[in-house]
Amino acid sequence: MIILNYIASFFLIVLGLYCIVMKYNLVKTVIGLSIMDYGVNLLIITIGYNPGGTAPIFTPGELQAASYFVDPIPQALTLTSIVIGACVTAMSLSLVMKLKEMYGTLDTREIRRLRG
Amino acid sequence: MILDALKTLIYVLIFPGFLFCFLTGLLLAGIDRKLVARMQKRVGPPILQPFYDFFKLCGKKTIVPAAANKTVFLIAPLLGLAALVVLQLFIPVFQFQIPAFANVADLIVILYLLLIPAVSIILGGASTGSPYAGIGLSREMVTVLACELPLVLVLLSVGRSVGMAIGAKEGITFSLSTIVRYQLESGSLICKASLIPAAIAFLLVIPGETGNHPFDAAEAETEICEGMLAEYSGAPLGVFKLSHAIKMLTMTSLFIMLFFGGIGTGIGNLVALIGLTGGAAAAVTMLLDVLVLFVLCVIVTAVGISFVHAVTARLKIEQIFKYYWTVVSALALLSLVLVWYGL
Amino acid sequence: MSHINLLYLLDPLHFPIFSIMLYFLGAFCIVLFGKNRIVRNCIAFVATGLSLTLLCLLIKPIMIQNAILPYWMGYRVPAGGYAIGIALEVDALSLFFGLLIATAVFVSCLYSFSYMSEDDNEPQYYTLFLMLAGGVMGLVLSGDLFNMFIMVEILTFAAVALTAFRNRVTGALEAAFKYLVVGCIGSTCILAGTIILYQQAHTLNLAQLATIIPLCKGTNISIAFALLFIGFCTKAFIVPFHPLAADAHGAAPAPVSVLISGVLTKSGIYGIIRLAYFLFQTMNLGTMQFWLVFLGSVSMFVCVTMALAQHDFKRLLAFHSISQIGYVLTAIGLATALGASAGLYHAMNHTLFKGLLFLTAGAVLHETGTTDLGKLGGLSKKMPHTTVLFLIGAASISGIPPFNGFASKWLIYQATYEKAAETGNIGFAFVTIVALVTSTLTLASFVKVTQSVFFGQLPKECENAKEVSFGMRFAMGILAVLCTITGLFPNMVQQYLTGPAAKTLFHVSRYINAMMGSGYAESTMGASAPEAATRTIETVGVWNPVNWLMLLMIALLAICIVAIASKYDAVRENKSEKVEAKYSLFYGGEDTVFSQVGGGDLFWGFKHNWRHYFSFMHDLHSGIVNDYSLWAVIALALAMVYALIVL
Repeated sequence: MIILNYIASFFLIVLGLYCIVMKYNLVKTVIGLSIMDYGVNLLIITIGYNPGGTAPIFTPGELQAASYFVDPIPQALTLTSIVIGACVTAMSLSLVMKLKEMYGTLDTREIRRLRG
Repeated sequence: MILDALKTLIYVLIFPGFLFCFLTGLLLAGIDRKLVARMQKRVGPPILQPFYDFFKLCGKKTIVPAAANKTVFLIAPLLGLAALVVLQLFIPVFQFQIPAFANVADLIVILYLLLIPAVSIILGGASTGSPYAGIGLSREMVTVLACELPLVLVLLSVGRSVGMAIGAKEGITFSLSTIVRYQLESGSLICKASLIPAAIAFLLVIPGETGNHPFDAAEAETEICEGMLAEYSGAPLGVFKLSHAIKMLTMTSLFIMLFFGGIGTGIGNLVALIGLTGGAAAAVTMLLDVLVLFVLCVIVTAVGISFVHAVTARLKIEQIFKYYWTVVSALALLSLVLVWYGL
Repeated sequence: MSHINLLYLLDPLHFPIFSIMLYFLGAFCIVLFGKNRIVRNCIAFVATGLSLTLLCLLIKPIMIQNAILPYWMGYRVPAGGYAIGIALEVDALSLFFGLLIATAVFVSCLYSFSYMSEDDNEPQYYTLFLMLAGGVMGLVLSGDLFNMFIMVEILTFAAVALTAFRNRVTGALEAAFKYLVVGCIGSTCILAGTIILYQQAHTLNLAQLATIIPLCKGTNISIAFALLFIGFCTKAFIVPFHPLAADAHGAAPAPVSVLISGVLTKSGIYGIIRLAYFLFQTMNLGTMQFWLVFLGSVSMFVCVTMALAQHDFKRLLAFHSISQIGYVLTAIGLATALGASAGLYHAMNHTLFKGLLFLTAGAVLHETGTTDLGKLGGLSKKMPHTTVLFLIGAASISGIPPFNGFASKWLIYQATYEKAAETGNIGFAFVTIVALVTSTLTLASFVKVTQSVFFGQLPKECENAKEVSFGMRFAMGILAVLCTITGLFPNMVQQYLTGPAAKTLFHVSRYINAMMGSGYAESTMGASAPEAATRTIETVGVWNPVNWLMLLMIALLAICIVAIASKYDAVRENKSEKVEAKYSLFYGGEDTVFSQVGGGDLFWGFKHNWRHYFSFMHDLHSGIVNDYSLWAVIALALAMVYALIVL
């Protein structure tokens, strides 16, 4: 059933991109970014998953050649990626707040003083 | 060491540097004016008129406008003149090439060194703050831009053509001395069918590059009061006029070296036939070469500058741009394609 | 109790990690102790200066003695042919980019001391500034793909925050948001690409990846390549990501623009080089060369024409920045030794002259409060030093001999034309033509700036402008001197900086072996190990700037002597307070009016012929973030299609 995970992550990434491209509301753009991020996180976790593997937590001496566990590196990467995603969301939301103060709107079609 | 320095000094100051440029350039300008006048059934000024003009301007006091940046206003003309004189050093006179300068600048560099006089006149004009200069420099820049594309195409075709012919490892050459040497050995490039469109294109570029009529929108006297020169008077104006004359010499001699570089071949043999040898032969050959070059320059000026001047009316700036980027570029491009596929 | 020998830390082996950590440590310290202005400036100065010094000390072993420094964090060296630790790897290419970054950061930090002194939130500024610097430095020195991603995120984050730093400036927030959205799409692409590579190779070490990836072909590898490539393209801002650069550079404070333009774009270029030359080793594919050259040429041409249409000083510079990056990409895409050397040379020059130009733009903004070309003029009398510095920068970027822009562009013309002759493909000849014409268009654009900002008429609003402080002029002066030196001694630069860096591009197995142990590449990859191509850098043309300059000086001196002897400088000037009629400008008999031709209208004769193109481009750059994201998605899709078909 691991294929479902891949499909889901692909679906999430595409959904995020769709949201960024098609939605004209700044907040929805930020949501799109987050969804895309979650999609990639899911992808990372899925790649590290070994069916039937245990959690990669061992005390010294416990680890044996026969130990079967999921790949720990992608999980570490996911943690990093989640942290970064949270920062990006916070930063973009604060920008959205400021933009709303300055332009009085959240519509991307009206926030275009820099063009041409 | 000192001898070398002295030699360099002579090259820069006398021949083929400053004095040579000064005399031949102004003479060429005088001949051009006379020719145009004769073509228009006027008497025209004496051939030495540009000399009189220059010395008279030098005798006048210069007025610096209050709004101008004085330093730039006065230095720009000198910088442009110096750059042109140095540029002339890199253009060989048939066999006569200064060995020390042969590896200083190639064709592509010359293309960009040609921009320095244009930039200096633009800076000079801009420094006055005159609105006429503003319009003038805009047009000057567009004219330079217009000439750039055909000029690039011509130079690339010539570089590729000669590079293939001499069997260079990279298949191209940009060295002007190599190109001239090749022509001395195997005939002028104009004899190659594939380069004839390029030669015509270059001939058409000459008046644009020098800013002669009908491509003188940048200096249109009747319309924008000489544009960038509107506020200039006295010696700086004279220097700009001199630069313009020298640029005519530079462009025409570059044209001759690129396409008629083989003509000087016979002269060396002729001198040997008379029985001269050694230094005397070299000197006589060089003098004859210079003479031939000058005659050819006059002919090119007559065909490329004076004749066009006499029979056309001034173009608008957007017409100049369109003309160079369509008609002339197409000719040069044709040449490039022909050369590329070895025709 | 083991004896810790502090002298051990002075081993050059540790310099790379120190030069990264100094920035981050500086950022951290400024948060803690940065309340006081002097302390803050000292910390920033020490961090940037020391980092530059450490990298300069590495020139000798790496550039001249040709060593490669692998550095394993915590000394976790590869075990059983597997890289298990996190690594830095500094070869000539990394060091070359590192030096560029350190120089630009140091100079713009010096400039910031006086430029930012009137802003509030200065501690935050320096924190973000040093984080950006550390991010880029970490990216180019890293030997680990995931660390590259982390650094990309740090630098994107810091750059976005710095773009929005002066959030009262029109468009600053807007630019930051657009940059954030598209930058995040790019970063996510890099992450996704990284993880797909991990799935295939089960390692994140660059050297080990470079041995595994070229051997396994497949859908996943192709997709990973497309994702990573597009990710780094967004960092380099090449077409179609150029509008973001224009927005961000224009809105950010000048020293930050220097970093974004001179440093951040380089990180993208560095990423593309590592990707195409090292990780995937796709540069010997004709189509790959074609695409890189094509993208580069399109970038240089589209951006220079966009720049011609601009009427804001910094926005114009921003478009030129991407245009010059186009040159770099074109040269690198040729996959010849001369091309690579020329491209890196131009990358270096771009950092120097673009930095100088952005700093002069900052100086103008500092004194007049505007960068609108229509509202400026005649500043050369008020700010003579800035004008001279600007002219040096403008001459450099427009490729006027003897400044550095010409030296590198000249190599690029030759590299492209040689490639054309070598392959017999006339397309590369057209690239040469585009490059040559773009250079002149750049000149046109800078003539416009010169006329509208420094010369021409002085408007009333600018009458209070004065020369900027010594600190700012000093920073600009450093860059101007570097612009001139690197232009005058192209052979030295090629021998000691760009040459060694360019050669590493064709010695991939050396890079692998330095990291993983000698013989690793050959034993792992077998026959398909990348051979160490010994390529020499040859130029067909000749250009000897020093000799030319000497001749010019002789001629100029002679002419000046003649001129002064004949009383050339005996001029009549307006001495009294009131301007006499004789000295006022000629207006055809009308009263004096302010009638300067606006910057936007200056090249009417040119624009008229291209009006359809310009109006099309203007409509295309709509300023809507959705459109820019759509371009990113389309670019990604195209890259994937290409990768799936060809790789």
